[in-house]
Amino acid sequence: MSRFFATGSDSESEESSSADEITPKATGTTFSKQALLLSDDEEDTKRVVRSAKDKRFEELTNIIKTIRNAMKIRDMSKCLEEFEQLYRAFLKSKTIVDKEGVPQFYIRLLADLEDYLNQLWEDKEGKKKMNKNNAKALSTLRQKIRKYNKDFETEIVSYKENPEQSAEEEEKDDIGSASSSKSDDDEDVTAKSLMKKKPQEEEKKAPEASKFLKGAADEESESEEDEESEDWGSDSVDSGGESEDNEGAAASLAVVFLKKAQDGDKQPERKKDDRRKRHKKMEQVDEEADEEGEGEEGGWEKVKGGVPLVKEKPKMFAKGTEINNAVVIKKLNEILQARGKKGTDRSAQIELFHALAGISNENNLGEGILVKIKFNIIASLYDYNTNLAAFMKAEMWKKCLECIDELLDILFENSNIFIGENIAEDSENLAISDQPFRVRGCILTLVERMDEEFTKIMQNTDPHSQEYVDNLKDEGRVCGIIDRLLQYLESKGSTEEVCRVYLRRIMHTYYKFDYKAHRRSLGLQGETKSEQDQEESEGEDSAIIMDRLCKFIYAKDRTDRIRTCAILCHIYHHALHSRWYQARDLMLMSHLQDNIQHADPPVQILYNRTMVQLGICAFRQGMIKDAHNALLDIQSSGRAKELLGQGLLMRNMQERNAEQEKIEKRRQVPFHMHINLELLECVYLVSAMLLEIPYMAAHEFDARRRMISKQFHHQLRVGERQPLLGPPESMREHVVAASKAMKMGDWRTCHSFIINEKMNSKVWDLFPETQRVREMLVRKIQEESLRTYLFTYSSVYDSISMATLSEMFELELPTVHSIISKMIINEELMASLDQPTQTVVMHRTEPTSLQNMTLQLAEKLGGLVENNERVFDLKQGVYGGYFNRDQKGGYQQKQNYQRAPDQRGGYQQKQGYQRDQKGGYQQRQNYQRGGYRNQNQSSY
Amino acid sequence: NLPFFITCLVVLKIIKHYQEEGQGSEVVQGVLLGLVVEDRLEITNCFPFPQHTEDDVDFDEVQYQMEMMRSLRHVNIDHLHVGWYQSTYYGSFVSRALLDSQFSYQHAIEESVVLIYDPIKTAQGSLCLKAYRLTPKLMEICKEKDFSPEALKKACIGYEHMLEEVPIVIKNSHLINVLLLDLQEKSTVADKHELLNLSSSNHLEKSLQLLMDRVDGMSQEIVKYNTYCRNLTKQQQQKQQYLQRRQQENTQRQSRGEPPLPEEDINKMFKPPQAPPRMDTLLIAGQVNNYCQNIKAFTSQNLGKLFMAEALQGHSS
Repeated sequence: MSRFFATGSDSESEESSSADEITPKATGTTFSKQALLLSDDEEDTKRVVRSAKDKRFEELTNIIKTIRNAMKIRDMSKCLEEFEQLYRAFLKSKTIVDKEGVPQFYIRLLADLEDYLNQLWEDKEGKKKMNKNNAKALSTLRQKIRKYNKDFETEIVSYKENPEQSAEEEEKDDIGSASSSKSDDDEDVTAKSLMKKKPQEEEKKAPEASKFLKGAADEESESEEDEESEDWGSDSVDSGGESEDNEGAAASLAVVFLKKAQDGDKQPERKKDDRRKRHKKMEQVDEEADEEGEGEEGGWEKVKGGVPLVKEKPKMFAKGTEINNAVVIKKLNEILQARGKKGTDRSAQIELFHALAGISNENNLGEGILVKIKFNIIASLYDYNTNLAAFMKAEMWKKCLECIDELLDILFENSNIFIGENIAEDSENLAISDQPFRVRGCILTLVERMDEEFTKIMQNTDPHSQEYVDNLKDEGRVCGIIDRLLQYLESKGSTEEVCRVYLRRIMHTYYKFDYKAHRRSLGLQGETKSEQDQEESEGEDSAIIMDRLCKFIYAKDRTDRIRTCAILCHIYHHALHSRWYQARDLMLMSHLQDNIQHADPPVQILYNRTMVQLGICAFRQGMIKDAHNALLDIQSSGRAKELLGQGLLMRNMQERNAEQEKIEKRRQVPFHMHINLELLECVYLVSAMLLEIPYMAAHEFDARRRMISKQFHHQLRVGERQPLLGPPESMREHVVAASKAMKMGDWRTCHSFIINEKMNSKVWDLFPETQRVREMLVRKIQEESLRTYLFTYSSVYDSISMATLSEMFELELPTVHSIISKMIINEELMASLDQPTQTVVMHRTEPTSLQNMTLQLAEKLGGLVENNERVFDLKQGVYGGYFNRDQKGGYQQKQNYQRAPDQRGGYQQKQGYQRDQKGGYQQRQNYQRGGYRNQNQSSY
Repeated sequence: NLPFFITCLVVLKIIKHYQEEGQGSEVVQGVLLGLVVEDRLEITNCFPFPQHTEDDVDFDEVQYQMEMMRSLRHVNIDHLHVGWYQSTYYGSFVSRALLDSQFSYQHAIEESVVLIYDPIKTAQGSLCLKAYRLTPKLMEICKEKDFSPEALKKACIGYEHMLEEVPIVIKNSHLINVLLLDLQEKSTVADKHELLNLSSSNHLEKSLQLLMDRVDGMSQEIVKYNTYCRNLTKQQQQKQQYLQRRQQENTQRQSRGEPPLPEEDINKMFKPPQAPPRMDTLLIAGQVNNYCQNIKAFTSQNLGKLFMAEALQGHSS
């Protein structure tokens, strides 16, 4: 190796030598592979031990390789990093090292690295040129390796004394490779003869070397396919010669021939004949091979090496093998073993599965095995993206849908297949027999995963593109699959599974407005024929479906999460279809409001969505207050977008790191399920306006006026700050302008601001029952304007005729009467009704400002006394007290309290008159304070 | 207490000063000059502090005072500094600023007083001029600058004992009597009957507003103190716990024959929380008291007037 590097680093740029560079390793690989396989055949028992060791050593060699590369390009930081990794890997393989001794290649690297570092260290010029990171890494690495090498002092010394000897094996390889590289052009006899000796040597050779080479080859083979394939070719020729000598190696050699057969075209013409002969020979050998599986495995492992797999397909089973269940399952397992490993070509794997399915189909191996294979295909389709955040490609997705559909087809056709995740691998029954098939696997999980993938796809598609629409069309298929699964599981699955699949169904139903049912309830016919057809083809109302599914879940589900989701979806669906009372009752009965903060974020998002939908529903029904309350939480935070999972807020960017952002992105609701934020805000602002404006008018002179809606006030302030007031443009401006009009009791202007073309197109037309909502709104505006008018201008009137009011606000007389009566009863309006003349007579009993102020002062004093009492409570016993007299009183009183609890009644009595004087706050006081006051009174 | 004689000249000068320079809640101040004769203090003259804005930094107040006093001496006027005067707005004068400056006066010139002139009450028809001194107790505390709750408690000082009012006797020279009579002739009838004005709400509202403001301040102070008390208790408990634990450990160690853990300075580990200064609370209390008395006086006076008016009405009708 060291020698190789000496040359390699000299001529990195030159193509010829770079070819040289790769060739030796490649050759080495084949040899080592052979050695390995040979030994495998010979000593099967030792195999496990070896593979553990091999694995470790492979890891080590890989790292060493990267280190050497880093050394070449003088990337010190990389070097340091890798060295640390190497150290860790070495520690891991400690047991093996103890058994086998420290591997030579390891020692070699240590020695080389140290030399190299020292050399670098001396090179002051070079050091100066290095960037800071590298320089730092260099010094750290140097120190580290010095320390570390102490442990291996003797080995290193011996290596340094005699580097040739320790590098013996490699050199042999190198020689071989050098010659074989030449053999690319013409088959060198010397090379061949050398090769012949190889296997024997290899067998004797320390196993680590072979492993080492194998690892190197693996890496190399991935990166440089072209050149390698050439190498393969030459190698196989060599080994072909060998096979005559060594019968034991037949199986593995066969593999080599396999390779060669594919690359045949690339080989020079004159070699062809030769090879064909050998090819035939190989086939013979192949057939002779007893352990077909072993041979296949070898074949498979090579394939990993990066040779195009498609060509491999026909070779899945050796010719003439009787294809039966056992063989196919074995094959399946083989493919499965490669799953998840680094370097496994996932798309190739899928192809393989498909081919296997085809084969089993051809040979009529029965549905059992087909189902099994299908399961695996779907699973590997999901596996295709290792990254959880990435979404499936369109073609994969299509394939996945098809596969699941086919799987369901099979399952429906064959009722004698049992599938379940609890069936153990060995109790599976895949063969055609009298017993029903038993297959391990969970179709539900697959479908759930499919659903998630669908969501992911939708999340990752630009919602304003045609692509999104196209993708959305798949929703029908997804729903179809879920429906079929639902049917299947209803007959076969456990209740838990049924609950799960029901929830999936619900999740696909709850947010869709059922136009058909809506029209039916309105008594309208479908406008066109095709629509009617569609109506007929569709089954029951979504409301009925929801009801049925949800009720099943409520009754049967044992996991809290599914039930919670089902309830929320149910409420959402009710609310969406304006069934306000059902929705509200369900919400209140579920008590979700109390404990939703303990749920996981997706459920919380669903909860928020539900609350919002509930609020909008209440608004449509004219329950302004309910609407406001439901929307308050979401709107007051100003993060409605985030809370509903409809997008991330930019201003939070610096607060969260990339990881969190990814998680949050995954929680986003797909665009087609979004709730219109502008509609939401408008509904909120309008309901806030309808509540707040009369309230503001009623409490104009209150010093401590509370706000009903902070956000609404904020909007008003923003509106006031405008230096120049133009006609309103945005929805908010419309609401602010309307509020201003309403403040003056001018309902007509208010009406024209809230309901006009702009607002219609922006907001109101989004409701299903637009006209009804608008009528409701007008009515509310009239009523609230009347109230505001009365609050604001009652001081101006001595009396006012209800007829006039009714005319002014275009309300019927009884309505005006009822509104005014209500205001009088609630003591909002100090007036009385004069029945005969139908007039309102004002009383003018509003407190004067001095009285108002006195009331405020009283309130403040109440607070002050309360605070004072609190201080006093604390002081008892603990602190000497500030006023001696008080302190004494308090202390005594405490004694009293402890000694004679029956006296408490007395205290309370004495306190009674005070309570009358000072009002509510005293009720909160405890007996101690009462006692204290009592003491004070007596001491005065 | 020393009785306290003022010449009418001083009173008129103060009134004039306010009329000319004071507006609304703005406060005017000036220096009182006089002599201690035998056992009483006579204030014979005064001069105002000039109003100056923040802009002219180079204005030297002390310089101005010295200059002024020197000039007055030249015209043979009593030039001894015996105190200062200040106008007030609805009786709000008990403040930290007043306390500080009066303390420094009283500290330097033992017999000095502060004269508080209430222009609003005066405008209502009765001259309102009051003289105050800090009580010896308060002087003591201010000298030590220790306003912690303990110190104030030890000093037994409440808002009632902060300021003492000194009786005032106004002495008029004949010339001034003549001038006053002359002025009385000139004044209009309406001015004379200002005393009988029945409207009260304006004055009361203003007073209430100020009172409320102070009550708010008081509430804040109390909350502060409350927090302090709670923190103190909490810490006391922690300290107790710590001591107990340490003791247990030590007994255990003793039984094992190990040396006891060294005594650490507990006060270092548990620093007592900073006690809020109580002087502000006292001042606020004093101010509230002052407002209340003002309001009480005003309302009782007004009630009297209302009865009088009622009687008059009954009589005339």
